[in-house]
Amino acid sequence: MSSRINELIFDSLVRNGRNGQFVGRLAQSIEHPSPTKTVYHLNHGVRFSDGRELTARDVLFTYNSILAPESMSPKRASLEELKSIEAPDDYTVVITVAHPYAPAVEIATEGIVPVGTPLPAQGTGAAPMGSGPFKMVAYSRDEFLRLERNPYYPHPPGAAQSILFKIVPDPTVRALELAEGVCDFAGNNIQNDVLPWLAADRSIEISKTPGNTYRYLSFNFRNPRLRDLRVRRAIAYAIDRNAIVSTVLLGNGRMATGMLSPESWAYEGNVTTYSYDPRKARQLLDEAGYPAAKDGTRGLRFEFKTSPEGARIGEIFQAMLQRVGIELTIRTLEFATYYADIQAGNFDLTSLQWVGINDPNQYYRVFDSKKTPPHGENRGYYSNPEMDRLVEAGKTTIDPDARKRIYAQVQQLAADDLPYVSLWWVDNVAVMNRRLAGFEAYPNGSLRSLATLKLAAPDSSGQPVASIQ
Amino acid sequence: MINRLVRRLFALIPVAVGVATLTFAIIHLVPGDPVVAMLGETAAPSDVVGMRHSLGLDRSLLEQYAAFLGGLAVGNLGESISYRKPVSQLIAERFPATIELAAAGMLVAILLAFPLGLIAGSNPGGAGDLSAMGFAIVGISVPHIYLGPLLMILFSLDLRWLPLTGRGGLDHLVLPAATLGTALAAILARMLRQSLIRVRESDYMRTALSKGLSARAALFRHGLKNALTSIVTIVGLQMGALLSGTLITEIIFSWPGIGRLLITAIGARDYPVVEGCVLTFAMTYVVVNIATDLVYALVDPRVRIS
Repeated sequence: MSSRINELIFDSLVRNGRNGQFVGRLAQSIEHPSPTKTVYHLNHGVRFSDGRELTARDVLFTYNSILAPESMSPKRASLEELKSIEAPDDYTVVITVAHPYAPAVEIATEGIVPVGTPLPAQGTGAAPMGSGPFKMVAYSRDEFLRLERNPYYPHPPGAAQSILFKIVPDPTVRALELAEGVCDFAGNNIQNDVLPWLAADRSIEISKTPGNTYRYLSFNFRNPRLRDLRVRRAIAYAIDRNAIVSTVLLGNGRMATGMLSPESWAYEGNVTTYSYDPRKARQLLDEAGYPAAKDGTRGLRFEFKTSPEGARIGEIFQAMLQRVGIELTIRTLEFATYYADIQAGNFDLTSLQWVGINDPNQYYRVFDSKKTPPHGENRGYYSNPEMDRLVEAGKTTIDPDARKRIYAQVQQLAADDLPYVSLWWVDNVAVMNRRLAGFEAYPNGSLRSLATLKLAAPDSSGQPVASIQ
Repeated sequence: MINRLVRRLFALIPVAVGVATLTFAIIHLVPGDPVVAMLGETAAPSDVVGMRHSLGLDRSLLEQYAAFLGGLAVGNLGESISYRKPVSQLIAERFPATIELAAAGMLVAILLAFPLGLIAGSNPGGAGDLSAMGFAIVGISVPHIYLGPLLMILFSLDLRWLPLTGRGGLDHLVLPAATLGTALAAILARMLRQSLIRVRESDYMRTALSKGLSARAALFRHGLKNALTSIVTIVGLQMGALLSGTLITEIIFSWPGIGRLLITAIGARDYPVVEGCVLTFAMTYVVVNIATDLVYALVDPRVRIS
């Protein structure tokens, strides 16, 4: 959630566009004089919320703060490709990477703070300043956060003066607050089963738009039985994804063909798909050498690890796989314990989701054979030399058309070889009071348009309230 | 009396050490890593190592335990890993909210339990008894997580009498206190009923009745006081259930107490905060029970603290 709010407080050189591309925000124009160099020309007259003008010196300061070893910033890792950053004048920033790196503009998505902002580790408690539409004026951890307009930002007429974000931990209570009108807005944090109840309320509007959050079933290739493609395919055919999306998600999702959703510039839809076909699944398992015994079992038993939130879907997988003779034992663990296990690659099967994928270089991070734990997020120890070659090429090819062709192959290979079974892309569901007008949804769930929302019927406070987790 | 109180307070020390040791062991034994929780799994290995070192997490468990106990001895609970603030400050900020909630919950419990227990106990088997005990069964059976939203829908959404969540004036306190106190009210009402039934059959009640007191006067003047002794003990012991109930209640009502702090800290594996919160809960429980013993002396003339 904090990244959603950061977008309202801070500007970055570029930001994630609607189609997974990066568009200029502070940068008026971008040049690529060489495969390792990107030049950003800044807009003049952008001001922080105290009136100071934002210049290249602030950009330099921000990046140097993140890179300082004592910053302990979680963002440092995202800058590992960065070789140097320079500011030849007040309105030019030059970012150099060590090797040709196609998603280099991703480096330019950090929110810029003014020169002299203390590191968070030094703990002054003061909210850092940005040049975005809002500034933070009050914050009480676990309780609320109040944003007020940055007076130096060009606000559209009628936009909110301030926004109060309330932290409401209980999911049922979040729905009740919307129904009561205590809260005006909730983005992607209302449970599907209460949506029909809220929809019946005439003061409430529900916006459902295609999202790019990708849900998948992951295999661990250290289990020799899962290394057999026929077994992985059988599992893919045995899962009735349509049934799960219509019952558990109440239709708020689309069948996924791969990690990238159709909104991405690099999306390739022409890939192998696995529609529900238990007969085919049984046949594949027979071929793989796991014949069915009289009771239907095949001596194939896997462990499905999950946190409590995913246990329901796990039970559905268990029932569906049982129909083709695969036994699934479900191991439910408290989230931090579960996640530590997954990060260490300690599972047979598990299901998680990737949120907010923008650049297709994500394929390198999760499927390259060098990226196994603890070096990266290839938690299933997938290894395919062809995949390694393609994701490496995708990472280093600068030409967008050539790059798109490479990722088309990556998506086809991933669908054929099944390191993941693609399940669905989760829709973005925003629930809001009808007195708010002008909400604009983004596939990655960005709440950027809260800055331009208009209050149709302002109350005495004139302040929309958004509830967050 | 002072002597005895001082002795009881000294006995807190081994309890504190025991609780601290158990909490330390449990939270460190479960998997999960605060550094990974903070930096994310894509963090550079050198950052992970650097952070572990600066937090002292690269020392052996025994060393960490010694440092923790050493800090505890001088009243230092350490610094939160994720909030980067002293744990004692975090707890001091939130403890009043939890105590307010627990005290209000206890008040609700007592206010509900007494009339119910009296109605039930003065005429066992009657209509009043059946309905009061019916309520008690429901009260014990309905979990906080269900009762809370139910009360919210009724009193906040439909009737619009009370605010939904958050901490503020007295009106904010009513629903969370009712959620927290109902189960305890049910238990206390049943206990009071049992005590009254037992007391009614005792010799001194028969004496009271035979000297001409009305049943009601005998019950209030002699019976109730004797029945109370067991209730006071139960109230003290049930404080544990009440405090653990605040965890759920604080989540439901977005109540800014240490229950919420503890739940968040467990998820983030913020070891010092978990240890500090559990220790606070445990000490509160023990202190309340010492207080219960003092109250016990007031209601039971046979007990004299000397």
